[in-house]
Amino acid sequence: MPTKMLGAASRFLRLPDLKSMSLPKRFFDPHIHMSSRTTNCYEEMAAAGIRAVIEPAFWLGQPRTNVGSFIDYFSSLIGFERFRASQFGIQHYCTIGLNSKEANDEGLAREVLEILPRFALKEGVVAIGEIGYDEITPAEEKAYLAQLEFAVEHDMVVMVHSPHRDKHNGILRSMDVAAEVGLDMDKLVIDHNNEETYKAVLDRGCWAAFTIYPHTKMDSVRMVDLIEANGPERIIVDSSADWGISDHLSVPKTAQLMLERGIDPAWIEKSCWSNALEVYGKSGQIDVDRLNRDHPVDQTQMFGDSTILRGQVPRVDAPVSAS
Amino acid sequence: MSTQVLLRTYIESRASQILDGGLEWLESAATEIGSRETLVSDSRFGALLSLASRKLGHEARQPWSLSAMEIESAGILRDGWNPANWTLLVAARVHLILSRPDLESQSGADAIESAFRFADEGELCALYRSLAHLPNGKRFVWRAAEGCRTNMVSVFEADVLDTPFPTEHFDDVAFNQAAIKALFVGVPLWRLWSLDRRLSPELARMALDLADERRSAGRVIQTDLWLCLGTFGGERGFAAIETEIARLDTIDAADEEAMFGIRAAVLALGRAGATERLREICAGSHPALAAEAEIGLAGDANQNAWSRFTVPALT
Repeated sequence: MPTKMLGAASRFLRLPDLKSMSLPKRFFDPHIHMSSRTTNCYEEMAAAGIRAVIEPAFWLGQPRTNVGSFIDYFSSLIGFERFRASQFGIQHYCTIGLNSKEANDEGLAREVLEILPRFALKEGVVAIGEIGYDEITPAEEKAYLAQLEFAVEHDMVVMVHSPHRDKHNGILRSMDVAAEVGLDMDKLVIDHNNEETYKAVLDRGCWAAFTIYPHTKMDSVRMVDLIEANGPERIIVDSSADWGISDHLSVPKTAQLMLERGIDPAWIEKSCWSNALEVYGKSGQIDVDRLNRDHPVDQTQMFGDSTILRGQVPRVDAPVSAS
Repeated sequence: MSTQVLLRTYIESRASQILDGGLEWLESAATEIGSRETLVSDSRFGALLSLASRKLGHEARQPWSLSAMEIESAGILRDGWNPANWTLLVAARVHLILSRPDLESQSGADAIESAFRFADEGELCALYRSLAHLPNGKRFVWRAAEGCRTNMVSVFEADVLDTPFPTEHFDDVAFNQAAIKALFVGVPLWRLWSLDRRLSPELARMALDLADERRSAGRVIQTDLWLCLGTFGGERGFAAIETEIARLDTIDAADEEAMFGIRAAVLALGRAGATERLREICAGSHPALAAEAEIGLAGDANQNAWSRFTVPALT
């Protein structure tokens, strides 16, 4: 067993009584691609206490071939997916952007950047994202710059996807370029961090998000170690669950592990709820008061023929008070 | 007075529900859109419609409450228009749309179509609500029928309810589909303006087929379905109505919601002119049904009589 786990076991002993401690009952997953997930996921997320999500625009696992595909994808993020989430009592926000992989198809990228302003200022769009680098090519840089300039012009938050390969260098460069364009570092979220990268992000005054993946990126145990050692300031936990092997319950599961490891519930609340609300709330698009208030599920609202219920009895909850 | 001026009055009197600076922003956006010298580009027009949400704030997205007089004034200005179920944000966006100086010409129609293409849910609602207030509404019939094919209930409502547009412009296929879809998605059909003027044998048949389908599935028939028969239900219609009324023996008469369908079926008898049967019900032992029969005998069983029934959750 790795020493980290032994450390966990020793801290476990300090817990007075696990059952008497309650896990915070609300979570915010500020990076999850719900259009790739099923209604079972939504049900489980709601049951686990996830109240709100952000769905960043990204690629679909394969490249798109025309701008119309982007138009329809962006439309679904501000339309049907938002509606689907609401049926489970989950507030759905999104980010709009041209991702770094598809930025390399330069002709198409130009067309996408042209129509981007028509979506980026919509209600409920909390940031420009996820943008940044993949292979760190000139074409990626061009698209990244253009979108940063748009964000600065409209005083928007930016969500940056950090590259899988050459991650540390990619992160440094994405922050440098954003600073050069004049983006307020307090409005920059760098995602997919790990132990090697986050300090540089925090040192620059940005927000450091961590994607908890079962096999790659961060796992829950490493995440808990990191928060335990460094505290929760400007740390954001997310799942980035998508069409790949990923876990839509990463945020509540990591929170549970933090609780079991004796981490202060206030730290859990920060890293799994309020930090993300704070930074993405800068968009003015999150009605934080309403989100903190009662929040019933009403499945009688439906999308006509595409009703998600398909003949089941709709679930209408009495308002549940926020805890 | 124009729709635009009326909307402006309603918006200005609710300034407290708007973010600081929001009202001034709306004014300047309306001026920008209204300029004849430099017509705004389609994408700028779309951006201003989007920005209205950001500039007016969260409170403006909540339902507004209009006084009875305000609702009445709207109906006098435009027959069939009832903005009671609008929001401040919808009103502001419709105000912006109506600010265009070129609504009569092709460029205005193109700009509106472009806004539809890139609209989010809230913008779609505002765009559909604006259609009845645009000159030469016929140009937007395809778009309005497209709105009926939506999956978003809010958008369907905006397209079809509290507006004279469907009744004035839809052909029979589109109109009947809109009416039956209202039953499917569970929005109050009586708010489809002048439905009573567009009743037909075809709509009655579609409604009766739906009633049979629901009975076969063991489901309750929508209260508003009985609105669709009018004088066109024929023998099949009367049989369906009597089957509904016979449910009286199987339910608890104190259960108000369960009684809605039966009361509505009695109203449907009134619409069909079944005078003798209505007298029989009046003389019967059930006061709630007798009251509905009286309404029928008085000739008042029009679509507004359904406003007393709530639309229960669909199962």
